[in-house]
Amino acid sequence: MEKQTLSYRSVTENPCKMCMPMGGILAFKGVERSMVLLHGSQGCSTYMRRHIAEHFNEPIDVGSSSLNEKGTIYGGEKNLRQGLDNLIKVYNPSLIGVLTTCLAETIGEDIDRVASAYLQERGQEEFPIVTVSSPGYGGSEFEGYWMTLTRIVTKLAQKVEKHNKVNIIVPFISPADIRELKRILQLMKIEYTLLPDFSDTLDQPFARPYKRIPDGGTKLRDIARMSGAPGTIQLGVCVAEGISPGKYLEDTFGVPLYNLPIPMGIENTDRLVNVLQEFSGRATPKSLLQERGRLLDAMIDSHKYNFQGRSVIFGEPELVYAVTKTCLENGVFPVVVSSGSKNAKLPELLKAQLEQVPQQMHFLNGGDFAGILAKSEGANIAIGSSEGKYLSEKAGMPLVRIGFPIHDRVGGQRLLSVGYTGTAMFLDRITNTLLEHKLANYRHNVYEKFYPGTKTVTEG
Amino acid sequence: MGLDSDLGLRASDLEFQGSPATLLEGRICYALDAKELERLLNNYPAKVKKNRKQHILIKDSERQQIEANTRTIPGIITNRGCAFAGCKGVVLGPIKDMVHIVHGPVGCAFYSWGTRRNKAKAADPKKNFLNYCFSTDMQESDIVFGGEKKLAKMIDEVVEVFKPEAITISATCPVGLIGDDLSAVAKAAEQKHGVKVLSFNCEGYKGVSQSAGHHIANNGLMERVIGQGEMNEASAKYAINILGEYNIGGDGWEIERVLDEIGYHVIAVMTGDGSYEELKNAHVAELNLVQCHRSINYIAGMLETKYGTPWLKVNFIGIQNTIDSLRNMALYFGDEALINKTEEVIAREAARIEPVMEQYRKMCAGKTAFCFVGGSRGHHYQGLFAELGIETVLAGYEFAHRDDYEGREVLPGIKPDADSKNIPELHVSPDEKFFSLKIPAERAEQLKQQIPLSNYRGLIPDMKDGSVIVDDLNHFETEELIRIFKPDIFASGIKDKYVVQKMGIPAKQLHSYDYSGPYAGFNGAVKFAEDVSAAFNTPTWNFITPPWKNKPLLTGTVHNA
Repeated sequence: MEKQTLSYRSVTENPCKMCMPMGGILAFKGVERSMVLLHGSQGCSTYMRRHIAEHFNEPIDVGSSSLNEKGTIYGGEKNLRQGLDNLIKVYNPSLIGVLTTCLAETIGEDIDRVASAYLQERGQEEFPIVTVSSPGYGGSEFEGYWMTLTRIVTKLAQKVEKHNKVNIIVPFISPADIRELKRILQLMKIEYTLLPDFSDTLDQPFARPYKRIPDGGTKLRDIARMSGAPGTIQLGVCVAEGISPGKYLEDTFGVPLYNLPIPMGIENTDRLVNVLQEFSGRATPKSLLQERGRLLDAMIDSHKYNFQGRSVIFGEPELVYAVTKTCLENGVFPVVVSSGSKNAKLPELLKAQLEQVPQQMHFLNGGDFAGILAKSEGANIAIGSSEGKYLSEKAGMPLVRIGFPIHDRVGGQRLLSVGYTGTAMFLDRITNTLLEHKLANYRHNVYEKFYPGTKTVTEG
Repeated sequence: MGLDSDLGLRASDLEFQGSPATLLEGRICYALDAKELERLLNNYPAKVKKNRKQHILIKDSERQQIEANTRTIPGIITNRGCAFAGCKGVVLGPIKDMVHIVHGPVGCAFYSWGTRRNKAKAADPKKNFLNYCFSTDMQESDIVFGGEKKLAKMIDEVVEVFKPEAITISATCPVGLIGDDLSAVAKAAEQKHGVKVLSFNCEGYKGVSQSAGHHIANNGLMERVIGQGEMNEASAKYAINILGEYNIGGDGWEIERVLDEIGYHVIAVMTGDGSYEELKNAHVAELNLVQCHRSINYIAGMLETKYGTPWLKVNFIGIQNTIDSLRNMALYFGDEALINKTEEVIAREAARIEPVMEQYRKMCAGKTAFCFVGGSRGHHYQGLFAELGIETVLAGYEFAHRDDYEGREVLPGIKPDADSKNIPELHVSPDEKFFSLKIPAERAEQLKQQIPLSNYRGLIPDMKDGSVIVDDLNHFETEELIRIFKPDIFASGIKDKYVVQKMGIPAKQLHSYDYSGPYAGFNGAVKFAEDVSAAFNTPTWNFITPPWKNKPLLTGTVHNA
C-alpha cells in the first residue's frame, strides 16, 4: 500500500470535504426541538442550509448572527444576543446550538461568556445553549460533527442513577440508516438512547399542519441520562479522543465504551450484533440471522461481478472505513482510498485490511479530487458523494452515491446501507452499477479488442 | 385568441371566483390588510416588528416607500447570502476562461462550487474552468502566520497546470481580518507569470448581503478588465453587450439565438457563459442591455460615463416583455431594416409558440403566485406568470435596493449608510482613447421618453393594488403569508422551497430552475409554462388536498384582443 498526503501541493483542487460548522448543524438537527445559530456572516448559514436542503429535500432553518463590518471591529455580542432573542421568540426551541465560524473565531469571540451572561440576565440559567467553537479552518465537517456531539453530551449529561438504556452514538449516516439501526435494536429487544437521531427531523413525513421545528430528535432528558447507561456503543472508530462523546461519558461517568465501525459488511455488522447480544443477554433473533444469511447469499450470487470491480472510495473517514471493509469482503478491491479530511486513526485501521489488496493501492489522507483522479488508473467504480461525478466526467468512472452531499440525485436521505439488509442493498447498488456500465460498453469494448482501431461501434 | 400587440393577455380581463386572493376591478381582494399584517408582526419582539414593518408594503395607488438593503436582523431565517457569494458566486464565477481561486478555509469554495447552474461552453474545452473548485484550504496555522505565501504558491501551480488567461482571487472572512494583502500577492504573481491576476476583497462580512459583493466584483472588472482589449470599434453593426445575464439553465443562449437572428452582434455577456477575452473589448459596444439591474447596474453606469454607451433596461422573461425589449432595442438603433427584421422575428416566434402557450394557459389560468427571488427575478417573472393567467399576489427581493422596488428616481434621495460606505465607489471619467457618445445627447433624451434608456422603473409600478411587496422575506413570514394568501405556487429558491412544499404548495425554484430551463425568451416561456403546468397537474397532488382543489378554476371568458 502506498500512502500519500499530497502535502507538496498548495492548491486544493476540487475538495472532498466541507467545514466544521456544517457538521455541527447536522449533529444539532438530531436533537429534539433544537435550533442552531451560526455566529458569523450570514453567508455561512445560507450556504450550509442550501446544501443540506438540497440533500435532504427538507426545510433547514438555521439562524445567523449576521455579523457585518461593524461587528468585526466592536465584536459580535450584540448581534449574537439579538439572534438568540429572535430565535427564542419565533421558534420557541428547547435547545439552541451556537456554532462559531471563521469570522467569530478570528476576531476572538467568547461565545461561552456571552451565552451564560445572556441566560443569567434573563434568569434562564437552565435553558440549554450549547456552544461549539467551530471555525472553518479548524477542521472538516467530520470533526465539527463529533465535536458538537461531545459538547451536547458535556452540556446535558448529569449524574444519574444507573438504568438499562444503552447509548448508541451514530456518525453522519442517512436517516434510513438510523431507522434501520433502530429496527435492529428493537429486534434485539434493547432499550436505547440514540444520539443524534435525525431520522425524522431530516426526513419528515408529509403532514399537516406544517411544523416550524419538526418532530423527532433525541430527547433532552434522554441525553441528560446517558451518563447512567450500561454502556455506549459509538460508531466512530476514526474519532479522535478529544472529540469523542463516548470517551467523555466513559471518563466522566464510567460508562463503558464500545467503539465500533459503521455496521456495513458482514464483519462490521457481526461486531455490532455481538455487542448488542452482550447487552441483551438473549440469543440473536432468528429473523436477524436470516437477514445475515440472505446477505451471504447475495454476496455469493454477485461475487463474479463484484470481483471485476476496482473501486475509488472517498469521503468522511468513518464512512470510508466502512465502505472499504465492505468492498474488501466482496473483492471490489480499492485502487484509491481517500478521506476528505486528514485523519489520525484511519491509516492504522486500514493498514492491516489493505494488505490483502492484490494490486497497487493508494491511500490519500486528506485528498482532493484532483489527487484522487491522478491515482485512479485501473479503477472502474467510484463510491462516495455527488462530488465524485468529477471522476465520472473525467475518467468515465460510474459513481455509486453514498454519504453527503448528494445533490444531483434524489433520495440521499433514503439510502439504506447499514446492517445485513442495508449492506445487501448497498452491494446491489455497486453490482448493478458495474453491470450497467459493463453492458453499456460491452459491444464496443469487445469490438475494440478484436478489431483494434478499425471503426467505432455506436450501438449499445 | 389574437396575437396582436399585447397577445391579448391582460390579466385584468380574467374573472375569478372563490379563490383566496381574488381580482376585482384590477385590484387584489382578500389580500393582506393592515390589521392582519399587524397580527403577523406581533409575533416578533418590538424592535424587530418596527424594523420589519418598513420592509413590507401593501400596494396602493399612492407613491410608497420601502426599506431595503439594510442590515439583516440576526436570528431571522433570512435567505440572503454574503458579499463573497455575490462576488465570486454570482458575478465572477460564470466567467469561464478565468481560474477563480477562493482564498480561505475550504468551506466557502466548496459551497460555491457549481451551485448556480450558470452554463458555459468554450471553443477550447481546456479553457473552461467552471467545473473546477480552487481553494487555498487555510488551516489554523495559516490564520496565525498569514496565508499570502500559500496563495502565491497556489497561483504558481494553477498557472503551471491550467495556463489560464487570467485569474481571480476572492477573499473569505478571515483573510481580511488577518490582513493578507491580496492585491500585493496578485501584483507579484502578475509580474512573475505575465498573467492577469485580479484580487477581490469580498469578505463575507462586508455590506449587508451578496449585493455588496456584486458591487465589489463590478468595480474590479471595470477597473482591470473592461477596456483593456485592443479593439477600437466593433467588427459588425448593432454591437451590444448583455449585462446581468448569468445563463442559468441556458437563458442566455435562448436570448442570443433571437438576437443573432435579428442581426445583433453580441460583444460580451456579463457574465453568463462570459469570457475574459470578450470582456476586455466590451467598450466597443453601441448599447448595453441590462437584464439584472441589481447586480450589474454599477458597470452599466460606469460604461456610460467612461465610454459614452447608454444602457437599456431589458427583460427577456415573458413573451410580451421579450417583445417589448426587442422593440426598444430596435428603436434605439432606429434603423428601419432592423425594426422590420425585429417585427418579422417577433411575429414568427409568437405565432409559433402561442398555440402551445394557450394549452398551458388552460391549466394555469386563475391561479395565484408568490414571486420572491434575488434582485430582479421577483419582478421579471410577473409578466410571464400573467401570460399564463397566474396573478402574482406577493413579490419581493432578497437583497435588492430601494431603486429596484421604487425605480431609479429615488436614487438621489438614498443616503449612504455605514454599510454601503464600506464598499468603495469607483469613480470613472470619460476615457481618452475610447470615449464616444454612441447616440447624440438630444436623441438620447428623446428616447428616454419612450424606452427605459439608462433607467429602471422598479417592481412596484408593475404590481396591482392590494398585492404585497416584501423585502428580505424570511421563513417565518413565508409560512404566515402562505397561510393568509394560500397561493397556488411559490416561486423562490431551494432554502424556502421545502417549507412551501411541506405546506402542500408546489414551489418553483427561480434561482436554479430545479434543474430545468431555459426560461428566458420565447422558447424559455414555453419551457416555463410546461414546468409550471406540470407542477399543478402531476397526479401527486391527488393524494393531498392542494389549495385549489374543490374550488372552481376559471369561470369567465378570455376576450379576443
